[in-house]
Formats: sequence, structure tokens, C-alpha cells
Amino acid sequence: MKTISPEKGMLFYIIKKIRPRLAERIKEAGKIETVVVGLGGQGTRHAGLMQDFGTTITAGIAPGRGGTTILETIPVYDNMKECLKEHPNIAVASIWRHYSTAKNAALEVIESGIPVIVLITEGIPLRDVRDIIVSARKHKTLLIGGNTPGVIFPPEGIKVGMLPDVFYPEEASSDSFGPKGVTVISRSGAILYHMSDALSSAGIAQNAVIGVGGDGATGSTFLDLVPLAMGYENTDIVVIAGEIGGCQEEVLANDMIQHPEKYPKPVVAILSGANAPEGKTMGHAGAIVTPGQEYGTFESKKKALEKAGIKVVNSQHGLIEAVKSKLGGKTYFEVNHYYDKMRTIWESPPKKPVWGTLITKVEPNNLVISGYPLRQIIEKKGFLETMSLLVNGEFPDENTLDELRKTVFHALSIPGPNIKFGEEDISKSIAKCLLTDEYLARFPDVLPVKKAAFCTGRVARYLGMILKTENTLGKVDENKPFSHVLYRVITGKKNVNEKHARMLEAIMVASVDHGVTPPSAQATIIAASTRASYEVAVANGVSAITDVHGGAGAKAAVFFRECVSKSKKENITLSESTKEIIKDYVSKGRRIEGMGHRIHTMDPRRDVLWGLADQAGVASECVNVSKTVSSIFKQVRGMELPINVDGVIGAVVADMGLEPSIAKALFIYGRIAGLSAHYFEETTTQPQMRRINFSEAVYKGKEERKIHG
Amino acid sequence: MRLYEYEAKKVFDGMGIPVPKQYDVIHSSSEIEKMEIKFPVMLKSMVLVGGRGKAGGIKKVSGKEEAKSVLEKLFKTKIRGYPVEAVLVEEAVNGDSACYIGITMNPGTYNNVVIVSSSGGVDIEKVAEEKPEAIFKKEIPENNKLLPEITAGELVSFLNKDLNLDAGTEKKLADVISKLYNTYQRFDSKICEINPLIITPEGPVAADAKIVLDDNALFRQNELLKILGISGKRHDISEPTKNEKIAQSSNFPYVDLLPENAMKEKDKLYVGLVPGGAGYGILSIDEVSNIGKRYFGGRVVPVNFMDSGGDPPQERVSKMFHLLMDYPIIDLIITSRFGGISSCDVFIRGLIQAMRERHEKGLRVVPVYGRMVGTDLPSAKAFLEKAKNETPDALKEMSIIVGNQKIMADVIKDGIESAFESRGWKR
Repeated sequence: MKTISPEKGMLFYIIKKIRPRLAERIKEAGKIETVVVGLGGQGTRHAGLMQDFGTTITAGIAPGRGGTTILETIPVYDNMKECLKEHPNIAVASIWRHYSTAKNAALEVIESGIPVIVLITEGIPLRDVRDIIVSARKHKTLLIGGNTPGVIFPPEGIKVGMLPDVFYPEEASSDSFGPKGVTVISRSGAILYHMSDALSSAGIAQNAVIGVGGDGATGSTFLDLVPLAMGYENTDIVVIAGEIGGCQEEVLANDMIQHPEKYPKPVVAILSGANAPEGKTMGHAGAIVTPGQEYGTFESKKKALEKAGIKVVNSQHGLIEAVKSKLGGKTYFEVNHYYDKMRTIWESPPKKPVWGTLITKVEPNNLVISGYPLRQIIEKKGFLETMSLLVNGEFPDENTLDELRKTVFHALSIPGPNIKFGEEDISKSIAKCLLTDEYLARFPDVLPVKKAAFCTGRVARYLGMILKTENTLGKVDENKPFSHVLYRVITGKKNVNEKHARMLEAIMVASVDHGVTPPSAQATIIAASTRASYEVAVANGVSAITDVHGGAGAKAAVFFRECVSKSKKENITLSESTKEIIKDYVSKGRRIEGMGHRIHTMDPRRDVLWGLADQAGVASECVNVSKTVSSIFKQVRGMELPINVDGVIGAVVADMGLEPSIAKALFIYGRIAGLSAHYFEETTTQPQMRRINFSEAVYKGKEERKIHG
Repeated sequence: MRLYEYEAKKVFDGMGIPVPKQYDVIHSSSEIEKMEIKFPVMLKSMVLVGGRGKAGGIKKVSGKEEAKSVLEKLFKTKIRGYPVEAVLVEEAVNGDSACYIGITMNPGTYNNVVIVSSSGGVDIEKVAEEKPEAIFKKEIPENNKLLPEITAGELVSFLNKDLNLDAGTEKKLADVISKLYNTYQRFDSKICEINPLIITPEGPVAADAKIVLDDNALFRQNELLKILGISGKRHDISEPTKNEKIAQSSNFPYVDLLPENAMKEKDKLYVGLVPGGAGYGILSIDEVSNIGKRYFGGRVVPVNFMDSGGDPPQERVSKMFHLLMDYPIIDLIITSRFGGISSCDVFIRGLIQAMRERHEKGLRVVPVYGRMVGTDLPSAKAFLEKAKNETPDALKEMSIIVGNQKIMADVIKDGIESAFESRGWKR
């Protein structure tokens, strides 16, 4: 069923009444934007539920969390002012702050000029509530609550608050809702649900459902809300649900007698508390019968409302009968449609918990980084551009790229930390450097991509130390591309072979990321969730790159070299020697690394790397073996085991005459970009120390797109 | 939370509002013997209900012997049903005239309102009824922290029409009004009241004092609580019942509708309620009572008010059911979970936890009849079905409708109907 367009609904009517110019802008934009203030567990959870219902959540407000996001994509601002600068059309706010801080938050939102505010917070001190009300009156704000479950506009599909999805609008045609119905206004949340449920079960639509709030003083009362609802042309009847305590029912009744012109439509009242004992508070702070007072009792309210000509009932059935008779038997929809809707809700399987990542989409035979296929990125983009894409979601413009490059060069010009390396995995050596490097630790991370660039430069320096090629970094021309640095530090040669340099960079780009599930990414994300510092979290990820994870390239290089040297030594063809060596591996129960993949049957990085190796003129015997090894393996073992990216990288590294361990160095170096991106994503989009189930992650980033040019 | 008179006076004294000399608060008549007192003094029963004077709870005595015999009587008295356990011994104040000053929030406008009357010492509601012209109400729409001077002046001029004070006393009176307002705001009060404020030759003195604090603000009134020697919220007028105390310790609101140890009438069905939501908690009492009257000859008695609070944890839900099943008078429990903020899943897990625990320990199980709809219903339904298969015996007295084919009023009716049938009762 189609919902009605926002400008035909009651919420728009209210906004227009309070802020006509804002209403004009909303009409143009075609949507009513809302903001969520207070992003604790409750606010965050219900932001998701509101969004699921159809509400446009444009932003969130949480002091100190500006620049981060909720629900992965909704931007968070430190305060309303900054938020409205970016999103001037926001018209509705829901406030979820704790009662001890709700006042300042509410005042800030009111003073920002937002016309409709729903204050969810329960138990705000009355003195604070009065300050909030004084300000709301001054700014002509429609303030609903505190201690309200919120408001819901079923025809438009807009919910602000935490009401469940149980309300049903008019059906104007077989496929679209209409705006007409009964407006339900209640002091209690649960009564709202039960009243709407009763009405729906009799085919009576609700065009708006408003929770007044249960605390001792609230921003709006029946006196404000009943005439407002009646002013909206599509409201047929107003149902109010009152309860013992306070005097808003009496005040409404009195006003109806004094100003009948404000009340052109029928009102039905359901009252609760006929059996309430004196002197005991019934849950709501406001719901208490005070001995000796002439207002606030069930009887005083009933008497006053009846005097004003309002039908007063005290049960669900009473309500159904009274509303039916006021409507003269009119119904708004087939009752079965309401039951069907409810049934689909409760019969649908429990929603699987998911969390989102915007970085990399991992599908069989397809890797997509922020929308761009990785195979295309490897072909067309350099490492720094790719790193920027990972961290920022977009490729950098030329100036930014140049700035990043300069940051890298600056970083690598500073001496590395003074440490000793033992006979150890290269990942451990790099992790040691990351953890002890004061320059890296002190580099600010306000701009994540800059921090990652600085880290890239530092890692070049570490590699120089570890591979004993540091002397090649001494006189690097600052205007040269990043690939030159890479070439020098990896090969130990000062004269750069452009094509080889580009090949090495492509290998790095091919290794940048594989989503959130690789152990290295998990290690970094877990550290990030505890808000460990950047270099610690990245070092954690790097430390998890071992012979088991990320070490296949080096072993594959060894394997390819064996094949080639056996062919030469025994003067047999490459395929013969390969077959022999595979047989030997199999008989000894050894794994052939660089083959097979848990997700890809045709690794999306394979062909592009082979192509680049050909173009660079580095493809030789090892690459040739890598192209045939799968079919030879099948001849030996009878099963498909496709070559993977590690295999290709191992072959290229071997053909370039580099040490097999270089394959792993390149993998780690490239992967640091992905780890950086995961670190910053975790710290800016997720609550700290959350429970992480990595298999629940889904890609919520940009749609697939092409690199042009 | 309402303060005792002596506590309120301590607060007033600290704020510079003149109060009579307070000798002590005593808990037995013999304590008066060792006290050094300048008679006459007032003996005031410390109970948290109004109208103590009229009920004989306040006496003036002019000597020790008289004091002792009056005290002996007082400690045996009940004032509106509440026993006198403490008596304030206080200097008796004499004056030419008396007035009333009260500050509260107007429940209709939510503005603070200062109410003054030159008829002090009598019931202000009565004055409002019989002599409304003797009352002046001034609303303070800005929620000012301090009372504007001009307003204090206006209020005093009104009082002075009857009181005819000299300029010095007039100034002192304005000072008391301002200080009372400041007390009201500073300590987050719902009511600050002096009745009577006696005008002595030395100036006005607060002969009585009433302060009701805003419970929602107690968290930031530590300093005040420390002065009063209490650690947190204290019960108001009445002692909580046994059930209410259990509920309090588990952090959910609960009110007994029947007196403690009420006699059970044999032909009546006693219904406990676990309704979810404070408002529906109140309405469901009415529903049960109405349905009982309409269909079951008025033989159905609702027993309690309860509210789980928003988003209760499973443990609390389970305790709510345990509490009612431990309450011998209850025959049937009606429950409803309309999950908005609260989760149906947590609700059903809590209920099933309670049913299983009772089954295992052989404790009394009361039939539970109810319905759940709303947030997390699919997972709640899945859990319920699994639980029914796993432990059918433990859950056989539990009948929970999933979804809303039936409105709650009809679920209540069905529940009562089945309880009547199982007893062989006719409607």
C-alpha cells in the first residue's frame, strides 16, 4: 500500500502552522526530515526502528561524537547549530537523553527553531521541565512529552518515538492509504496501543496517534492538542485517553464550554482510574489522586468532560461503541486488512541482526571497494588513491592526492624507531615498529586519510630497516610518485625501473582489503572497538598476518621457483616438472599454497595482475606455471583448485627475481590501507566495545560504479 | 516525597525563614522529663497527613506534668489511621495575626504559583470555597529561580490590606515570601507551604511547615538529603505493604488495591495484573472490574496495580509474576505485553522463566492468561513455541495469545471465563 505524500498529512499541517517558510521548503523537498538527539542504546536502537518504519532520519546529535555516524550512514553532529548548517530543512526532533541532561538538550533544540519536538525522556525534574516549557512557549514550539512514547502518523508512514507499528490508516483505494481518520491523543503509551487496537479491530482508522506524556508536567496537554487535531481537515473525531491525576481533562472541558468554536468536531474520552486508591502514585508521576483536592479524580474528570458534552467511557468496548455511533457506522478499511498486516508482522521470521560496513563488498568472484570493482582499481589507480578510497569512500582529487603523497614522503624521511629485529616473521617486525614509533603515535588523526598516509610513509621506512634497504630512501626526489619509493625499498636498487615499480604497486593495491572477515581485519576492528589507538589497532591486524593468513604468496613463490629450477635441471618441460612437484607435494601431504579460495572460484584479481605482468615485461616462467598449474593439478588430483591472488603474486615476485618473502611484505604493506579503513570505520560508526559477530556484517556502501577515463 | 514538619523547618531555618525554637523530636513520653524547656510549648504529632490539628494531634501545654499526660495520650493516638510514633516539642509562638503562604505548580498551566491569604491557620481549600476574596494567587510564568521583588511587593500589599503591618514588618514579610519561593526552587519542591505564618512583634514566624519534594529531582538534592539524614526516597503517607516493599526492592511500581491480609470471599475471583505500561496498568484494573460487573455478576476483584517500566529486563519480568503467584489471594493473572519500547521477547522469556522456576521448586502456580503484540514478536513467538515443546508441564497453566486477533478486553473476559469454568462457577 502506498502512503500519502507528506504535505497532505497532519504533521505537515502542524509544521506549516508553526513555521510556514520551513513548510514551503519541505514541500519542495517532498520529505519531512527528522533528527535524533541523544544516541545512547535507546536512541540508536529506535533511530533504526523509526527508519525502518519510513521516517526520514537525517542526522543525529551527540556531544563529542560529531563527525561519526549512526546506522553506518546517518551523520552525527556535536550540536544542533552545526547540524542545521548542513540540513536546514529538519523539522522534527526526538530527544532521548537521560533525565539529568535532558533540559540542556531540549533547550538547545527549541532555541534552534525546530517546530516539532518529541521529548521521550522520562522523569525529568519538574523545575527543568518548566524551564523547557517556558522556552517552548517563547519559540512557539510544539513540544510533546516528556515521558511520551512519541507520535505516529500512519497515513504518511512517519513515526517519531518508540511506538510499535500497530496503527492502521484509512484505505483510499485498493493500493493507497488516505488521510482521513480518528486522531487518538493519550496520556499513556500502552493505552494508545490498546485504544488504537480496539478501533482498528472495528475498521476505524487513525490518522495520527499522539502520546501526551505521563510526567507531572508536559509540553503539550489536551488543551493544546485537541484543537490542533481538529483544525486538520482530515480528522473526523478526536479520541482522548485521560487518567487520574492532574487537571488537563478538566481544563479541556472548561475550554470547550468557554470556546466552543475551537472544537468543531466530536470528542470521545476514555478515562482510566475508576478503581484507583487515594494517595498512591500509579506508575506515572502525574497519576495520583491527591486527597482533598477538587480535581484529579476519576469522578471530577468524568463530571467535567460530560458537562462539556463529551462522551466518557471506561473500557475498550465502550470506546468502540462510542466512536462507532459518532461516526454513524462509517468504517475506513476492511478489518481483515488490519489483521493481515499484523499477522505478516508477527509471522515473519525474526529479523537477523546485521551491522554494516561501507568499505568492501565481498561476493564470489567479485570484490568492490566503495562501489568500484577492485580489478578496475588495480588496473587504473595507484596505492595512495586506493587508500584514500578505502578510508574516505572516494578517490582524492589531484591536490589532495599530492598532499597525501607529500605526507608520505615527509613521513619516510624521519628516522625509524630504534629497535632490533630477530629471526622473526616480517609481520612481527612491522608490528614492533608500529608499536614503538612515537612519530606515528603523535601524528594527529583528525583527518583519517592523512594519518593513513603518514603511516604509509613510516612503513616504507620500517621496510627499509627490515630489508636493509634504508640507504635507498636517503635521496628520494620528493616529486616522484609513491611507486618509486616502493621500488627502492623493496628491491634495494636506486635506479627505478618504472614498469617494475608500477607492478609492485599493483600487487599492493591487489592486497588492500577483503572485507571485515579476514583475521587481520577482525583483530584491528576488535582493537578499534575498545578504542585502542590507531597504531595499536593496525599493529594488532598486522600481527595476525602469519604463515597461515597472508603468507601464501611467499610459499607459492617458492613452489613456482622449484618448478622452474626442476625443469631446467632435469631438462624437462615446465608442465612436466610442475606435475612432478605437485605429485611430490601430494605424496608428502603438503599444501600447495596460492591455490583455492574460500569464496572465489575465479579470483577477481587474477587476470588483471597477469595482464599487468605481461605489460611490464616481468611475466616469465613462474607466471607461465601459474597459468597452467590449475589444470595440471586437476590431472594429478582430479579436482578443481583455481589459482588465487596469492599464487599470482608469488609467481610475479618470483619472476621479478625477488625473495619469496617480498610477496608477504607487499601483502602486509597493501593491507595496512584496508586495516586503516576498518579502524576508522569502527571508531566513527559503531558504539565502543560492542559485541561483534563478523558473520553478521553486510555491505551498505555505495552501489557498484565504474572508473571513468 | 513529603518531609516531616521538623525536617521542613530545618530547611526553612537554613534558608533564613524564622521558625520557632525546636526543642527535640521525641519517641516516648518519658523523654520530656529530662528536657530543659521554657513553657508553654507545642506538642506536634509527626505524621505525614494534613489536618493533624483538627484530629487532635497538636496540643499546647504549659507545664511538664501536663506535657507528660498529653504525650501519653498522643503516643496512643492514630491520626487518620496512622499511629503517632514521634512528637515534635516546639516553642509556642504568640502573635497578633496569622497568614498563609504557599508555593506550588499550577497543574493547569505548569507555571509556579504563589498563593497568599490573610486567613492563616485554617484549611486553605476551605478558605478558597468560603471566602475566595481572602486569597491572592500570583503566577510566575518564567520559572524564575528567585522571586521578582515587585511580585513579593504585590503579594505583601494584598496581605497588608487585612494585616495593617508597620513598614518594618511588611519588609520582613516580603522577605519570608521571597525566601519561601527560593526554597521551593532551590530544593526542587512540588509544594512549599507555611500555614500559619504568625506575625509576632519581632516579625513573622513559620509556626508550621510543609515541603513536598519532587522525586524526579532527588538525585541532585544530595546536600538536602544529607542535612535531613535520609539516603533516598522514603515512602509518603502510608507504610508500603509487604508486596509493595518487594516490588520496590525489584524496582517496579506496584500498588495493592486490597488492604493487607484482606479476607478472601469464597465466591469471588481475585485477579492479579501484569499489564505493561503504567496507563494500561490503571485502565486494566477498570477493565477487569467492568467486565466482572457486566458478565460475571460483580464477582471479580482486581487485586493490584503494576507497571514494568519501559524496557524491563527479563529478571524483573520474572519477579513480577513470582510476586503475584506468591500472593495467596490471587486466583488468576491477566497479562498484556504491547511492546513499544519493551520487547515481547524479553517479556515471554521472563514469564516462562518464572513458570519453570515455580514448577521445578514445586511452588504454587497461578493460571496466566494474556496476550502479546508488538516489538520483537516474531522472536518471542519462536521462543514460546520452542519452550512449550521443551517443558509442556511447566507451562500448562499459561495461555498466551500471540498477536491481536482479539482485543485485550476480550482476552480478559476469556481468562475470567475459563477460571469460572474450572471452578464449576456459573456466570
